[in-house]
Amino acid sequence: MSRLQLHDLQLARGGRTILEHLDGRFMDGAITALIGANGAGKSTLISAIMGMLAPVAGSVECQVPRERRAWLPQQLALDLTFPMSVEELIMTGTWPSHGALKGYCAAHYRRGREIMARLGISHLAHRQLGELSGGQRQRALLGRTLMQEAELLLLDEPFANVDIETVDVLMDVLRDMARQGVTIVVVLHDMEQLSRLADDVLFLAGGHGRWVSPDSLLDRYAGQPPRAPRLPLTFPDALDAGTA
Amino acid sequence: MLELLDAWLLAPFDYGFMKRAFVAGLALSLAAPPLGVFLMLRGMSLIGDAMAHAILPGVALGFLFAGFSLPMMSLGGILSGLLVAVLAGSVSQMTGHREDSAMASFFLISLAAGVMLVSLGGSSVDLTHVLFGSILAVNTTALVLIAAISSLIVVILAVIFRALVVECLDPLFLRGQGVHGGLVHGAFLGLVVLNLTAGFQTLGTLMAVGLMMLPATTARFWSKRLEGLIGIAVGIAMVASTGGLLLSYHLSLPSGPAIILLAGAAYLLSALLGRHHSLRERLQRRAAPLGAPESH
Repeated sequence: MSRLQLHDLQLARGGRTILEHLDGRFMDGAITALIGANGAGKSTLISAIMGMLAPVAGSVECQVPRERRAWLPQQLALDLTFPMSVEELIMTGTWPSHGALKGYCAAHYRRGREIMARLGISHLAHRQLGELSGGQRQRALLGRTLMQEAELLLLDEPFANVDIETVDVLMDVLRDMARQGVTIVVVLHDMEQLSRLADDVLFLAGGHGRWVSPDSLLDRYAGQPPRAPRLPLTFPDALDAGTA
Repeated sequence: MLELLDAWLLAPFDYGFMKRAFVAGLALSLAAPPLGVFLMLRGMSLIGDAMAHAILPGVALGFLFAGFSLPMMSLGGILSGLLVAVLAGSVSQMTGHREDSAMASFFLISLAAGVMLVSLGGSSVDLTHVLFGSILAVNTTALVLIAAISSLIVVILAVIFRALVVECLDPLFLRGQGVHGGLVHGAFLGLVVLNLTAGFQTLGTLMAVGLMMLPATTARFWSKRLEGLIGIAVGIAMVASTGGLLLSYHLSLPSGPAIILLAGAAYLLSALLGRHHSLRERLQRRAAPLGAPESH
């Protein structure tokens, strides 16, 4: 089953086509890695899936209601000097059910505490976001998407500037979410992370996309040292077609 | 001793004009500082100034048509303030220029137009009144208007509060939830305009910004939390407006500048002695040992 499909999608920014003829389906309950060089159109595609960028041609077919689509932006996009505690940030994830006005009840605070415990940030509940490390912040932001009870989760380079322990926690949580049926799309740059996380890969280059299986990518680059894994930037010839 | 306190602090309020000015000051002190806190946190501290200039031509037009009628002048001020905000927003969207440059251009045009209009229709005394206000001339109509506008601001701010907070931190999250961030931003700017029109009668168009921004920037030295910032800012504004009023009564000073200078003194003092980011804190700062309890 797939709640998220692309049909001959063409996307442009500022009059310049970024991606075209993009087809395929993102599997429910699976983690799809989105890879490609800087400027290949990863963030553009994510904006289109979030419904923030209208396609020039083709369409994004998404059966997940808008408020159940969550997105974990790059940290640079946030104003982290704004005074807000970790708990307050996580509670804003109740927006789909609570909107701007409804008060939070005890059950939601309890859920918030469970989420913080799951992410290992209970002790930071009342800390201000600006005082946290990159890793702690990333956990808090993922906490907000858990609160949101997202059915579709998009993550833009979630492991950039994040410590190894946090990477492990985040990956565990993402796996759990996928197991519960959440469709997850994650922008990655790192072969090691891809090997641990991805069920499927959409590879963007030269304005086009190609679905490949993680194994074929990994096989091809198996000879590289494990911690310096560079993902390819252009389509190599010998990649097998993927699952989609 | 008690008699002295009574003579200094309470006796002045036996006069009706002092009572009205006192209540007007408190009402403004409730509404203005929270707006200032948000402006400051969004890096828009100078936008308040720009908006204050923007309401001037409307106030002047109201003055030209209806004389010294506060409702007409306020209405004019609100309309021209909103007009400039919308124009600046759309010019920056159409041309791709940053909003602050569009805002700067429009507020300069407005200021010139406003001063021109006032001079065409009145004397320089009127101009001084519009620019710098006169809290001691607040009549009952003005007081009701100020109280009504202040209440309205507090209520609307309460309604959009969560959206505003989320929009400041992560506008894309709000957009993802189907809320147009521009709407929240626009409503907020509308409140700033409303507040400035409420303030201009007592403090003048130029000084009204002071009661909005100075308490907010002062609070930054005392709290890191949003509720703390707002609470402290409101407190400072109330003390400054009451204290300024008394000073102006006893020492025959103009009331607007007295209030704002008092708030300014609080700012300077806090920059020296405050809990966070002040000079004192910088000099005394020692790294706390690991595991030490947090100081908040």
